[in-house]
Amino acid sequence: MIFKISFKNVWRNKVRSLIVISSVTLGLAGGIFTVSIITGMVEQKIRTGINNEVSHIQVHNPEFLKNYESQYSIPHADSIAGIISKMPGVKAVCGRARITGMAASPNSVAGVQIVGVDPLQEKKVSNLYTTIPDTNGGYFTGNRKNQIVIGRKLADKLKVRLRSKIVLRFQNIDGNLTEAAFSVNGIFQTSNTVFDETNVFVKKSDLDLLTGGDNGIQEIVIMLDNIEKIPVAEAALKAKFPFLDIQNWMEIRPDMGMVTSAIAIEVYIILGIILFALAFGIVNTMLMIVFERTRELGMLMAVGMSKSRVFRMIMLETIFLTVIGGIIGMVLSTALVGFFHQRGIDLSSVSKGLGAYGFDPKIYPFIKRDLYINLTLMIFCTAILAAIMPARKALKLKPVEAIRVE
Amino acid sequence: MNIIEIKNLSKVYDAKTIPVYALNGINLAFSEGEFTSIVGPSGSGKTTMLNLLGGLDSPTGGEIMIDNTDITGLKSRQLIDFRLRNIGFVFQSFNLIPVLTAKENVEFIMQLQGVNKEQRDRRTFELLKSVGLNDKVNTRPNKLSGGQQQRVAVARALASKPKFILADEPTANLDSKSAENLLEIMEKLNKEEHITFIFSTHDARVVAKARRVITLEDGKIVGDVSKN
Ligand SMILES: Nc1ncnc2c1ncn2[C@@H]1O[C@H](COP(=O)(O)OP(=O)(O)OP(=O)(O)O)[C@@H](O)[C@H]1O
Ligand SMILES: [Mg+2]
Repeated sequence: MIFKISFKNVWRNKVRSLIVISSVTLGLAGGIFTVSIITGMVEQKIRTGINNEVSHIQVHNPEFLKNYESQYSIPHADSIAGIISKMPGVKAVCGRARITGMAASPNSVAGVQIVGVDPLQEKKVSNLYTTIPDTNGGYFTGNRKNQIVIGRKLADKLKVRLRSKIVLRFQNIDGNLTEAAFSVNGIFQTSNTVFDETNVFVKKSDLDLLTGGDNGIQEIVIMLDNIEKIPVAEAALKAKFPFLDIQNWMEIRPDMGMVTSAIAIEVYIILGIILFALAFGIVNTMLMIVFERTRELGMLMAVGMSKSRVFRMIMLETIFLTVIGGIIGMVLSTALVGFFHQRGIDLSSVSKGLGAYGFDPKIYPFIKRDLYINLTLMIFCTAILAAIMPARKALKLKPVEAIRVE
Repeated sequence: MNIIEIKNLSKVYDAKTIPVYALNGINLAFSEGEFTSIVGPSGSGKTTMLNLLGGLDSPTGGEIMIDNTDITGLKSRQLIDFRLRNIGFVFQSFNLIPVLTAKENVEFIMQLQGVNKEQRDRRTFELLKSVGLNDKVNTRPNKLSGGQQQRVAVARALASKPKFILADEPTANLDSKSAENLLEIMEKLNKEEHITFIFSTHDARVVAKARRVITLEDGKIVGDVSKN
């Protein structure tokens, strides 16, 4: 009954209520859309990072991670990779050789991680090859031996170009120093200059031929069909291979993980500020309403409506006003975000440089589902907080004074 | 049998500066089935008296016994509940909840009392019929005339099955025909259902209908006349 009266009361002054409701709607829709763009950008950066550099999960021999010594390879890597590839949620698996070494050009020398890959398999777990601009060669094109793919930053440091020679020097599995010349086949460019400077890619078959024996697999990289499945897959892997070290992308790249959590907080701060501002408007409106209805509230208390019911009535009216606006705002922004998620927002005109850094200049805004849940809670809290003052004001009314006819 | 007994009741406003004795040592008793009018010049204390009787205000001194309960000793929370269960109110105006229909306004008080739906429906219908508004059941107050609104208010006051109904100048905002009509309905309810009415008024024609007339002046009773 109180519920019904409160709901009807909302529509007593339609214009005023609609103004409050629209301000909540627009405030929230604007906030959610802004948040969706931020989330879209961050998510894209992380997706690129995962796709080009780290993948979802990496598996190593725990000893290897201590000093990156290639002697600590993964035992029976091929059969392990085979088992992993059949685990649920796994999209692609690929083994890599990893050797610490030196890259030298006639001009300069640099310490590098030599990554020995099977190009065909590698393309399934890493999009790195897509960051090689057309003018900068390819990813192991042709059948020539001893090709190398390096990053832009390293190319600049060593002052080499496409088809330049680079000499790689490293210890093979028996501890002997090996040295060979490689020809630059492609130059990639990710958004991570450290990655570009320190990783060079060669075919594992070339490496093995040079050292005269299998160098083993030091790293197994795994891509899942959905990033959300990481925790489950990670736990399954840990249970199945307790002797191996299993890391997800956040553990491998804590910086990327931190960005995600920092943004998650920032998002709530933005929405919190918007709701806080809206709360002032709501409090003001409700105080006005209580003032206008002094006589009616006095009459209600006189005929026997308890204080707690009066309090609830005003509370509910405030909550309706806020939550109606909140729901419309969320529906509206869901539609808006959905539309732009399909189409993408093209930022290339605003920020020309993006494409050159291996970024997709289009942003695909989106909202995580748990944001809606938390936001709903936040809207309710705002409504309740905004309702307290007006409702208390109503309680202070004395029936005799409220109903006195001037 | 007396349903209300007032002993030495007084109400003083602005006690600290210049005290105004709105009521000054009133002793009165009301019995069941009365149809009583309180009259007196403006400022004589009629509203003050009805407010005290209704437990809407607390007196400066004296006691008000309603059915052996001294309501001057009740806490505000208890008073609200006491009003809900024992007293019906009809005010001069702003009696009804604007967003509810006539039926819902009458039903409302019973909902506060926790009466079940079936009983509520039956009683609401009976009451609206008895005040001659069975064709306005689903009409909202703003679509009712002043007289009709006051009749809904009477029905609402009756809905809680109160011991008595207090009405402070219920006809003040009505034209004479509506005022007469309202009084006739109140009279009928008093005669047929033995509902106790205590109302204040300035209107001589309303006073004429009362069976007992209490006259106040400067917060004191200067006349108490019962007919037949
Ligand atoms: N809240 C108040 N504060 C101070 N004085 C008050 C207050 N309420 C009433 N009074 C005074 O108490 C006296 C009695 O007032 P009351 O309203 O009871 O008179 P009344 O008989 O109802 O008058 P009316 O016929 O004009 O309605 C008056 O002198 C009035 O000025
Ligand atoms: Mg008065």
